[in-house]
Amino acid sequence: GLLAGLRLLAVGVFLSSCFGTVMFSDLSVQKDGSSLLCRPASDDQGPVFERMSLTYTPCSDHFKVGERSFSRQYAHIYAARLMQMRPLLTERALQKWGSDVVIRRLCDLQIGEQCCIVGTLFKRMDLQPSILKEISEEHNLLPQPARAKYISDVDELILEDELQRIKLEGKIDRDKCVTGSVIAIYGAERNDGKFTVEDFCTADLPMQTPRPPFLSLSRFVLLASGLGLGSSRADSMLGLQLLIDMVTGQLGDQGEQSGAATISRVLLAGNLLSQNTQDKDASTKAKYLTKKTQAGSVDAIRLLDELLLQLVASVPVDVMPGQYDPTNYTLPQQPLHRCMFPLSSVHPTLLLASNPYQAAIDGVKFLGTSGQNVCDIQRYSSRDSHLEILEETLRLRHLAPTAPDTLGCYPFYQKDPFILEECPHVYFSGNAPVFESKLIKGTDGQEVLLVTVPDFNSTQTVCLVNLRTLECEPVTFSAFSTDDEESEMNISH
Amino acid sequence: MTTKHRLITDSFKVVKKARRGGKQEKRATPPPPQKDAESEAEKEELQKLKQFDLDWRFGPCTGISRLQRWERAKLHGLNPPEEIRDLLLKTYTDPEYNFSLWSEYPL
Repeated sequence: GLLAGLRLLAVGVFLSSCFGTVMFSDLSVQKDGSSLLCRPASDDQGPVFERMSLTYTPCSDHFKVGERSFSRQYAHIYAARLMQMRPLLTERALQKWGSDVVIRRLCDLQIGEQCCIVGTLFKRMDLQPSILKEISEEHNLLPQPARAKYISDVDELILEDELQRIKLEGKIDRDKCVTGSVIAIYGAERNDGKFTVEDFCTADLPMQTPRPPFLSLSRFVLLASGLGLGSSRADSMLGLQLLIDMVTGQLGDQGEQSGAATISRVLLAGNLLSQNTQDKDASTKAKYLTKKTQAGSVDAIRLLDELLLQLVASVPVDVMPGQYDPTNYTLPQQPLHRCMFPLSSVHPTLLLASNPYQAAIDGVKFLGTSGQNVCDIQRYSSRDSHLEILEETLRLRHLAPTAPDTLGCYPFYQKDPFILEECPHVYFSGNAPVFESKLIKGTDGQEVLLVTVPDFNSTQTVCLVNLRTLECEPVTFSAFSTDDEESEMNISH
Repeated sequence: MTTKHRLITDSFKVVKKARRGGKQEKRATPPPPQKDAESEAEKEELQKLKQFDLDWRFGPCTGISRLQRWERAKLHGLNPPEEIRDLLLKTYTDPEYNFSLWSEYPL
């Protein structure tokens, strides 16, 4: 009713076409004499555009947590991480500084000797919130303020191996590094017990299986994140409905509809619900006062189910949970439970996935998260660009180096599942402030498309990845801007 | 450490219950060994397992079983001794063999 009415007034799907060969915007461009303005050609239904279905292999098994034991300490995850990364970094160190470089453990370190050490970085940060600080200063306790950045000038960078640690100085940018990264450093220990770094290296990109050769047809995967249902901003719903209508082919003329048919899969990268659905009352108020109140997320999940129903009836959809979604908080986040989606979960096209997400779509390997790992590194380093941080995690060969230090994480002991064992073709993170993408090439011929998927609620933007060319373009939905609405209101009064 | 130190509690059983928390907890006495005569072989086996626990190359040993720790070391190519695994598989019902040296202590 209301939405349909509005759609007639203000519909604009802006496809920003730029460089490249076949972009989505080229496929769905309106042909001369738009068919919408003509009399229907005949009484029959018109052409049917078949959506191309692609082979799909989920590879997220190592992000599923079977047994849930919380009796272990986090020492195991750091130990396993170093065990897994040490051989890789030793190899890189030999490549970079020559095969005659001396690789030492910290316990065998000689003062003044030029050598290489493999270890885990630890950044001691004064501003890092700590529960121990609060307990020890319990007398006149001041709550530690939430900050955008927790770095300061007195931070110290320390390298740890299995037994010892050493303070680092020299040619390594303290503010850019984060706790938990495994690196190799080259330099020498000085008399004062600090290590002067001359150079350092990361594990860099893992090996990649080449993409399968494609037919000439372009197929697209649509990435979106941060739908933010249940937020106070009601106007965001129009953009969302436009998105669904575009994907399901209910928008535009035959050209646009045939374009929509090339979207073979939709991936929703977290924060389907808005932060507003997490009411703080439940944890602070007494139970008997909140007994009869309904959780804020109930209505939002119901709405999500209805929206998903429209999508899954037409296209396969992967749903990843994010920071504000009703699943576990610690990474890896387990898939949302299907009982929350009574309408859409009957369709086999709804795939409830884990966060991080890993799958091969028609042979193209996707790997990504809903953005918590990137946001956490942003808080604990001087880096600001999500794309830059995303690339850095790929170079470190680790999805979430700051877990478990400042990012919640399950206490694994056998293996660290966040270490990248194979190079993905598309590496993304969700809930970014802006859309950015970049194609990087590795030294062993790897080709990776990095994408920061923007928060839909604030940007009304999603992105389309071309599986054939690994190109990526944003699609922005714009209805009434708030300014228009206000001016219109003014006129009518 | 080659000889096992005899503790006073081996001869005199602990009567007092360990107090909760604080230093007392940290020094909690290890469980009294079984009454039935501990054979030399058994002692030697346990000694080997303790040495395995104390080998830093295989990572921390608290919170996981000895076999889990052995398997992790194997997975990452650290060549843990095979005899430890055989011993652990043979004695998998006995908690004294299954869990690490520190398993009696609170985390």
